[in-house]
Amino acid sequence: MKVELAQLIILSAILSLLPFFVPSAYLYLIGLALVFAVIVVSWDLIVGYAGQVNLGHTTFVGLGAYTAAILQVPSRIGISLEVHPFVAIILAGIVSATIALGIGLVTLRLKGYYFSLVTAILPLVFMQKVFIWKDVFGGEEGFSIPLEKAVFSTTIEKYYFALLFMLLSVLFMLYISNSRLGLRFKAIRDSEELSEALGINVTYYKILALVISSFFAGIAGATFVNYRLTVSPDLYDVSLMLLIILSAVIGGLGSLIGPLLMGLIIYLAKNWWLTAFRFGIINEEVILYITLILVAILMPRGVYNEIRQRLRLISLFYRRT
Amino acid sequence: MIEFIEFILFGAAIGGIFALIASGFSLIFGVSRILNFAHGVCFAVSAYSAIFLIKELSLDVYSASLIGVAMAVLFGLLVYAMTKPIRNNAVMVIIVTLAFALLLEQILLLVFGNRGLTLTPFVEGVQVIHENLRIAKIRLIAIPMAIAILLALDLFINRSMLGKRIQAVSQDLEASMLIGINVEKVFIVTIAISSALAGFAGILYSQIFNVYPAMILRVLIYAFAIVILGGLGSFRGSILASFMIGYVYLATMKTLGAHWSEFVMLITIVGILAIRPTGLFGVRE
Repeated sequence: MKVELAQLIILSAILSLLPFFVPSAYLYLIGLALVFAVIVVSWDLIVGYAGQVNLGHTTFVGLGAYTAAILQVPSRIGISLEVHPFVAIILAGIVSATIALGIGLVTLRLKGYYFSLVTAILPLVFMQKVFIWKDVFGGEEGFSIPLEKAVFSTTIEKYYFALLFMLLSVLFMLYISNSRLGLRFKAIRDSEELSEALGINVTYYKILALVISSFFAGIAGATFVNYRLTVSPDLYDVSLMLLIILSAVIGGLGSLIGPLLMGLIIYLAKNWWLTAFRFGIINEEVILYITLILVAILMPRGVYNEIRQRLRLISLFYRRT
Repeated sequence: MIEFIEFILFGAAIGGIFALIASGFSLIFGVSRILNFAHGVCFAVSAYSAIFLIKELSLDVYSASLIGVAMAVLFGLLVYAMTKPIRNNAVMVIIVTLAFALLLEQILLLVFGNRGLTLTPFVEGVQVIHENLRIAKIRLIAIPMAIAILLALDLFINRSMLGKRIQAVSQDLEASMLIGINVEKVFIVTIAISSALAGFAGILYSQIFNVYPAMILRVLIYAFAIVILGGLGSFRGSILASFMIGYVYLATMKTLGAHWSEFVMLITIVGILAIRPTGLFGVRE
């Protein structure tokens, strides 16, 4: 806990100094990456800690995003009651968590692969609502939120808002993962039978993990929308899901800080550094998918855990000599 | 009445194609406990290879289809090779196969673009059954073709020595090893057969409907609904469920529109899991 806390504080301190050096166009991207990193960390909570392979995390991101967008622009559904952006973000999290509760109640009481199978198709299903009610949700294009209805308007303000959002969310999830609750999640991940024998209500805690994780996915989706001022079906997309998986797997499942760092790096790589590599059948997504396959086969425990293991071996070696 | 007959026939064709996809998915899961998210790759690769061969090299439809199915088997074996070192890590298997599916979808998008393509049908033209009842011949021919293949597969699994080995491995892996079954060989045979089935389903599907690169993931929705309804790992259950899901799919398309089909599939899956989680013929894990 102490090590992770120190890492998080150092990282935030460095990030809070960035606006003095980085031009605002890049600052804008880094802020988006911070929100994306929260989504990755919340995925790590359900997969890396509770051990339930959720392949539909973007469902909850998209639900949160569209909920907040509709609440902030209520004229789209013919209501004039406007909601403050902060309230909209919290409500978005609650909507995502409620849907997650419903999904969890049906699928998580079953052992085996049912949860993965059902969550895998969730984003494809929920994405369709955008095309069915085109005039409300805006179809393929999505719709935009007027500048005056968002949380902040300048890039610097938005960047610090994203940084604060990241810091608070990750602190909270770090606290959960190190509490007795987190310990129960890990016990369930390592052996459901053993946890049951110890008197842990396995189904209850699996559902709780899903609800907490989806709540953060929802508020992150809502923050995303308030940050870039548009909402569109790409927030549901399976390719976003793969980006989340890629970051968490390379970062090392079940370490929170590893996925956080990798989330930042991968998001910037995809939207900034790799966009130059586009020729023939190669584009940035192809490169990332190949990377993911290679890492998953060669280092199934993640780069972060692999490096930590090596460092520990080296330090053991020096202590002995 | 005429609409009803049309519905029954068309639904049977769709159900047959779904059965080809889902039975392979179910076989792979039953034998190797791998959830093959790349199963749709075999479906799409064979359809797109055949379309490419006919358009660019002007091959005839039969040899193009044959090469398409061979490509599907090749990609199936590739999936086998990729998942072999991490087979014990279920999370990583899911991630690798899903990443492979998305990789192929991306490549197909870059090569063929995001428009629907169709394959030249084996038989062209319309069969006039009654003056008001006209059905494209390929839709009629697809039904006996799919049923013949499924019957042959059922015979192979239940009667042949290799088929019995496949059953043994799906019942108990360790015990099969102990009595001297070459488990790796069984895995390879299973994945090759399943990929060929998915590949042939792709050929039939692209002769009736348009194929898009996004089909790689979309067919998985139907496959999941079918295997959950039929019971994970049950071969006959998944065939029966395919026809049921085929009719559900067609009824949704006719009444609510194609956009609703995914949503109806989700409701079906959640309903089955809530009432009878083991499906029609499943065994408790």
